[in-house]
Amino acid sequence: MTRIESKPSGMEITTDLAVVSRARSGDADAFRQLVERHSRTTFRVAYRMTGNEHDADDVVQETFLRAYRQLRHFEERANFSTWLHRITVNCSLDLLRARGRADRHYGGDPESAELAGAGRTEPQQDRLLMSADLQKHVAAAMERLSSNERTAFVLRHFEGMPVEEIGKTLGIQVNAAKHTIFRAVRKLRESLEPFVRSTPCNNT
Amino acid sequence: MQQHLTEEQLIAHYYHDADGASAEEHLASCGECRARFETLRDVLALVDQLPIPERSDAYGEEMWTRLRWKLGSERRRSRVWGTIAAIAAALALAFIGGILWHARTQQSVPAQQSTVAHAAQPTPVQQAAIESASKDRLLLVVVSDHLDSSERMLLELSNADAKQPLDVSSESKRAGELVASNRIYRQTAVRRGETRIASLLSDLEPVLVELSHAGSTLSPDEVAALQKRIDSKGLLFKVRVVSAQVGGHEAPATPPRKGMDSL
Repeated sequence: MTRIESKPSGMEITTDLAVVSRARSGDADAFRQLVERHSRTTFRVAYRMTGNEHDADDVVQETFLRAYRQLRHFEERANFSTWLHRITVNCSLDLLRARGRADRHYGGDPESAELAGAGRTEPQQDRLLMSADLQKHVAAAMERLSSNERTAFVLRHFEGMPVEEIGKTLGIQVNAAKHTIFRAVRKLRESLEPFVRSTPCNNT
Repeated sequence: MQQHLTEEQLIAHYYHDADGASAEEHLASCGECRARFETLRDVLALVDQLPIPERSDAYGEEMWTRLRWKLGSERRRSRVWGTIAAIAAALALAFIGGILWHARTQQSVPAQQSTVAHAAQPTPVQQAAIESASKDRLLLVVVSDHLDSSERMLLELSNADAKQPLDVSSESKRAGELVASNRIYRQTAVRRGETRIASLLSDLEPVLVELSHAGSTLSPDEVAALQKRIDSKGLLFKVRVVSAQVGGHEAPATPPRKGMDSL
């Protein structure tokens, strides 16, 4: 299991809080600092959730707009990154639910994604390890998940969020959240098992 | 006969959940379950490798450029509403002062003043019509201000995150003030036959009352209930329409779009 973001250190939290405090008093430059500091992390969460670059960009923008409007509700004892992360998840969920999944493409065409990404940064090591064909299969497997299943899976698998928190985020009971995660993993296993080994993994 | 682990137990074990804690021992002695667990692990490792498009170091700056315009627009709108609210408050005070002054004048004017030449003054019917029109205009101005304040509050509530408690200490106080004025305007609108305004204010009142009684914090359920109430009555849209009409603006053509607008 991987984490897309390491937890910020105490110093970073302190710095964030100082900047948030200035932003709350109307300092636009302080809010700019928060945007610049957290945009890339926010994008990664949004992309995991939406599976689409353009949607993820929109979610990042909406996340900061919403954070700006609700800045006065932010409790200073809280961690700004965690607070922003929750807004990102909610914005992504709202987007997925509002649009439905008819036009969704998780990751889109891997070749296009490669081209789009190539102009931005050096390719990651993972990208080199995974063939475009396999990416397509993994993306398709993610695509087959419902929005709730994908959200629950992303939050558990990539974000390491406890099941109780996932239940709260999705507005469902803990047991329902647990079963949503199980369903998601089972679907992924059924789709991708042929690509990892020949050993059958039947349900018992 | 040895009972094999279920897929749920394997998944729970993978995520180190409490449900999967007992699986370790079984996996050590059961080759079949171990193979299934390894398959699961390999599948999830594949998912881990799905690349995320990277954003450059300049992404934050680009995002700020996109946001700056929108935030600037919000701040400008906020300042405009503040100015309008101040002007409307002044007009409302003038309106109330005028009514009081009029009532006192009516009581104290001696009967002999009625001997002043009638030719220089409008007839009683004309005077009543002028006063009525004047009061109508003032009513619309103060209601417009009231609706603007209410709209901002409804908007904040609609945009609030319904999955966590919401601090509404300032909104609750503001709602208390709005309830009082809402009642006065509703009764005035009823008396003056403004049924459209009266009906809207009547729909608005329960939401304001509920919020004014909310105390300092709303639970996620309460936030969701209020949002549902606002949404089910199309309250925000109605407020915008009537507000635009009484304010002399063009009403919005369609109800607000669901989705990103509600974020």
